[in-house]
Amino acid sequence: MAAIETDYAVWLRGIEKRFPGVIACDGAELKVRRGTIHALLGENGAGKTTMANVLAGVYRPDAGEVWVNGKRQTFRSPADAIAAGVGMVYQEFRLVPSLTVAENIVLGAASPLLRVVEIEEKVAELSDTYGLAADPSRPVWQLSMGERQRVEILKALWRNASVLVMDEPTAVLTPAEAAELGLTLRAMAVDGRSVIYISHKLDQVVAFCDEATVLRRGKVTATFDDLIDVDLAELAEKMVGASEVGTIKRLKSIQPGHAVLHLNGISARNDRGLPALSDINITVHANEIVGIVGVSGNGQKELAEVIAGLRKPSEGRMILGDQDVSGASPADRYRMGLAYVPEDRLGVGLAPKMSVVDNAVVRSYRSHRRGIFLAASKCIVFCKGLIERFGVRVGRLSHPIAGLSGGNLQKLLLGRELAEQPIMLVAAQPSRGLDVQGVVAIQGHLADQRNNGVGVLLISEDLDELLALADRLLVMFGGRVVGEYGPDVTPRTILGAAMAGRPPQ
Amino acid sequence: MSKQIFLKLLVLMAVFALVATACGNDDSDAQGTATDSDPTSVPAENMDSDDMHDEVVAAFVYVGPVGDAGWTWAHNEGRRQAESATGASTPFVENVPEEGPDFRNFVVDFIENEQADVVFATSFGYMDAMEELAGEYPNVVFEHASGYKKNDTNFGNYFGRMYQPRYLSGMAAGALTATNQIGYVAAFPIPEVLRGINAFTLGAQRVNPDVEVHVTWTFTWFDPAIEGDSARALLEAGADVIAMHQDSTAPGLAAQDAGARWVSYNSDMSAFAPDAFITAPIWNWGPYYTRVIEAVQDGSYEPGAYWGGMADGIVDLAPLADDVPEAVVAEIEQVRQALEAGTWDVFTGEIVDQDGNVVVAEGETMNDGDMLGMEFLVAGVVGSATG
Amino acid sequence: MMRPVLVRRDRVLPATQALGFVVGIVGALVLGAILLLVSDNNPVEVYERMFDSALGGIDSLSRTLERATPLALTGLAVAVAGSMGLWNIGAEGQMMAGATLATGVAMMTDGLSGPLLIAVMLASGVVGGMVLMLGPALARSYLGVSEIITTLMLVYVSIRVVEWLEVGHWKDAGSLGFPRIEEVPAQAALPGLFGRVNIGALIALGLLVVFSLAVSRTAWGYELRLAGSSPNTARYAGVSLRRKILAALLLSGGIAGLAGAVQLTGTEVRLTPGLSNGFGFSGIIVAALALMRPSGVAVVAFVFGAVQVGGQSIQTLGVSSAISTILQAMILFSALAAVVFFNYRVRWAGAASEHSDV
Repeated sequence: MAAIETDYAVWLRGIEKRFPGVIACDGAELKVRRGTIHALLGENGAGKTTMANVLAGVYRPDAGEVWVNGKRQTFRSPADAIAAGVGMVYQEFRLVPSLTVAENIVLGAASPLLRVVEIEEKVAELSDTYGLAADPSRPVWQLSMGERQRVEILKALWRNASVLVMDEPTAVLTPAEAAELGLTLRAMAVDGRSVIYISHKLDQVVAFCDEATVLRRGKVTATFDDLIDVDLAELAEKMVGASEVGTIKRLKSIQPGHAVLHLNGISARNDRGLPALSDINITVHANEIVGIVGVSGNGQKELAEVIAGLRKPSEGRMILGDQDVSGASPADRYRMGLAYVPEDRLGVGLAPKMSVVDNAVVRSYRSHRRGIFLAASKCIVFCKGLIERFGVRVGRLSHPIAGLSGGNLQKLLLGRELAEQPIMLVAAQPSRGLDVQGVVAIQGHLADQRNNGVGVLLISEDLDELLALADRLLVMFGGRVVGEYGPDVTPRTILGAAMAGRPPQ
Repeated sequence: MSKQIFLKLLVLMAVFALVATACGNDDSDAQGTATDSDPTSVPAENMDSDDMHDEVVAAFVYVGPVGDAGWTWAHNEGRRQAESATGASTPFVENVPEEGPDFRNFVVDFIENEQADVVFATSFGYMDAMEELAGEYPNVVFEHASGYKKNDTNFGNYFGRMYQPRYLSGMAAGALTATNQIGYVAAFPIPEVLRGINAFTLGAQRVNPDVEVHVTWTFTWFDPAIEGDSARALLEAGADVIAMHQDSTAPGLAAQDAGARWVSYNSDMSAFAPDAFITAPIWNWGPYYTRVIEAVQDGSYEPGAYWGGMADGIVDLAPLADDVPEAVVAEIEQVRQALEAGTWDVFTGEIVDQDGNVVVAEGETMNDGDMLGMEFLVAGVVGSATG
Repeated sequence: MMRPVLVRRDRVLPATQALGFVVGIVGALVLGAILLLVSDNNPVEVYERMFDSALGGIDSLSRTLERATPLALTGLAVAVAGSMGLWNIGAEGQMMAGATLATGVAMMTDGLSGPLLIAVMLASGVVGGMVLMLGPALARSYLGVSEIITTLMLVYVSIRVVEWLEVGHWKDAGSLGFPRIEEVPAQAALPGLFGRVNIGALIALGLLVVFSLAVSRTAWGYELRLAGSSPNTARYAGVSLRRKILAALLLSGGIAGLAGAVQLTGTEVRLTPGLSNGFGFSGIIVAALALMRPSGVAVVAFVFGAVQVGGQSIQTLGVSSAISTILQAMILFSALAAVVFFNYRVRWAGAASEHSDV
């Protein structure tokens, strides 16, 4: 056995990691050879970041083994992982803005005997070797995001990292900076180090990486030893492919009714001010589920937020029912019949530290008023109604909602949104991270709504779910709708190609 | 695990509760024997102070710490002198803020728990509360340093003519400045401080007509950081002697670091910056405190507005540095004798203010009322009289 | 190797918290006894005096309440902002601003009757505090500028303004050249209740009840809690974060300003640069100990007041001010530590069977 293990820079074996109500890793394996750049692929919540955190000593796995450079390791803290040669570059940089580049690099890792000049010389040497241009004496607050990322990489190199883990490294970079990063990573690989590259930007993965492991729902769905001839469509399909829940029965088609939602020429920017949506035109009818397919990060989140009224579009109009709601607030849209199940259940849909009752009335508290007071009895009655109707399992209603499992959270959230007979429901990743029963329950509710005359826009990363539930599929890529397909007549390979940005004509 | 901790804490609490109850019992017993069972004891408030306890209790309330080496230190020295001279008991409290309920609570505690017969309060801001308390406790004597309120029975104020030794210290400083620029780190723009600056300047001008005194205001009585910074700013601007009106030694340390000289205040602070130290106008409260306590002891106390000078010894000049020229030493000695004899005082004309107005005519001497309400700075002072 | 890690408890009973408070205080008294023995004092005598002067009778109680009143108001001010996750560090300055405006209004409105003048001055106090908070509140809600910094900086500005008024425009001609501001009119003194307690205590108590109900029972309070605990959920529910931030901060400033006016008309006789006397800063500790709940502020302010009164009083026994300060700090710190401790539990990281629940 030992002979094989030493071939790998990293071997994560049978990793299991559970959080309350969620299985993040379910026996996942990752093998990274020395001197390679290894892509760790998967949708949000697939378990990539959890795997990386296990390797970086942040999480202790519930089961499984961690091998680094042929040695079995038990990391008790990130410091242990660093000592074993694992360097981690997070999406959110961990630098001290008021310190210089050199000071940040050696922070916590320099011998007190070293003089500033020596440190700066050594840093400059490292910079040269790997093409990481960074002036050691400049304070970090003056640097661009790309430069800061280089400092993070230098930090790992200073600590002699033989394995560098990078979580979504190009999310903050300009295209030119991304290209430079590719060269740096290659230089490190040539030098015998290994890089684990976490991303869902398939084109970059194919351009930068040698090997890939694809995760889905905490399990490995595919590994690729060579990415040179790999088909992007195949990668995309592996990421959103085969559901663990098993085949869902395809909904019987019914005649769609009148239009309940109409998006006309919507464009919007993301949180960093970059274009995220351009010229989106979508119509959803009553008795219809419209599915949005795509690799995440192609504008789905922004689309949901624009419809809900949480993100201002830069252009375009939106009609809900027969009214123009382009300027309406989220609460107004809800009153006019728009229900919204956001991607972030805790933090957007629900307030984690507030009680079950408080969360149940987020949408309806205005109608539970008695004078200036909020009538506790009315709130409780309302909350109990939801719990009963949607089969939510809760402890005490006055306890913080964060104690509920993922499935029950989602049932309460969905129930709350459906409580006042909406005409339109936007559901973003409603079944992500739920256990089997949770998924079945949520999908059942979505189908019921559609059958009862509600228009549903379902944004999901689960292709099987979409194929089973949606009446029409829209594929998003690069902030645009690049194709519309009938789910029962479209082969997966065609959808995969469209998701990779190359819809067949 | 949490349950275990909880249990342990419960046990601990129970133990503490037992201990506390036990202490409480012992205590009330002790008190019982002292008061209830003593047939001679009579409720305190019906008694004259002489019957109640043999010795007079004189309580002191200080605004700063007794270790400040300045204002409060000087008062505390006075308290100790008075204690050994009169045999009175002299409890004190320090660091008492001028606003809020603290001052009042302390004084009431002193009177009701320690049977204080006289309360000395040593900061201006206590004045309103002292007036109120003097009304509430007519059998207790209230003496307030540096204020102006009093009554006819039990509330007096006291202060010293610090401007006299300040004038002498100005003479020494004027003789030792080479740049003819003296920096004065001033506290608050109030008559007492303005009087000090003016007296100091007049003294310096007496031996060195070209001298300029540059004033900066700190709005502090004791804040070493601000006071040190102010001194450094003055030194950088060209001053080579620093004078001051606060209770810290920071200006002296700044002067010593810069190779400059220093006139301190309140007490002989030569030990803190021996190379810089020239001299200091100093307080000597002991004789006054002794007199008041003795008057309370023999029942002869009458409130007044005491403003003693060098003749009384309440203010004095610390020993001069060795390098003060002999001629100036002799002249200082001569002026001191005139001040002590009362044949001459500092604010004797002609005195001209910053704007060139004659404020005291040739040959005239300013009266006490004008001195106590002084609001101008004399010619030769650079800086504002309003802070 | 095992190492202790603090894990927040999902739920804490009020009784558990109260117990933590008591355990903390008792623990500190035991440690304090050692300190007193080492510094040559008799702990029994000292603690007896502490208790007597803070709680041992109607006069003592009145001293504690006298101190608790401004603490309750500033504590409430900090807690109102705190319930939205905001930190008003500058209650000290808003007290000064409130007292300053109240003084100015009293100077301008000559000859008003007592109750009317008091009402006008207290209202001016609220306005004064709000005015000083206006800048930080607008900067926070529109530009995202940290209110921690801005409110703190304005403390020093407001104290300087009073110093400037004292030597300048408001200098009392009758004070023999001393920079003093005129006394507030005698009829503006808040009516006393008993001992040193005036109706300021009732005002504080009333406000605590009102805000306690407002935060926990009204729709407005619900929106405030929602916005404080999960801003994105609040936006989603149609609550304007900007307006809630403005409202919470302005109310916080107004209450602190009222504290200033209550001090001015209740315990002080004139506006001085030291009027706020640290009550604004202590309010932060009070609110933190009360876990930002108005209902807790009343209890904590009372205990805080008692500790301060008791702790101060022992100085007349000959205990030095340093020891007395350490003792007060120890009691408050231990109470805080115990409350924190009771809100968390210790988990031993590294134990083989433990699962991380991060």
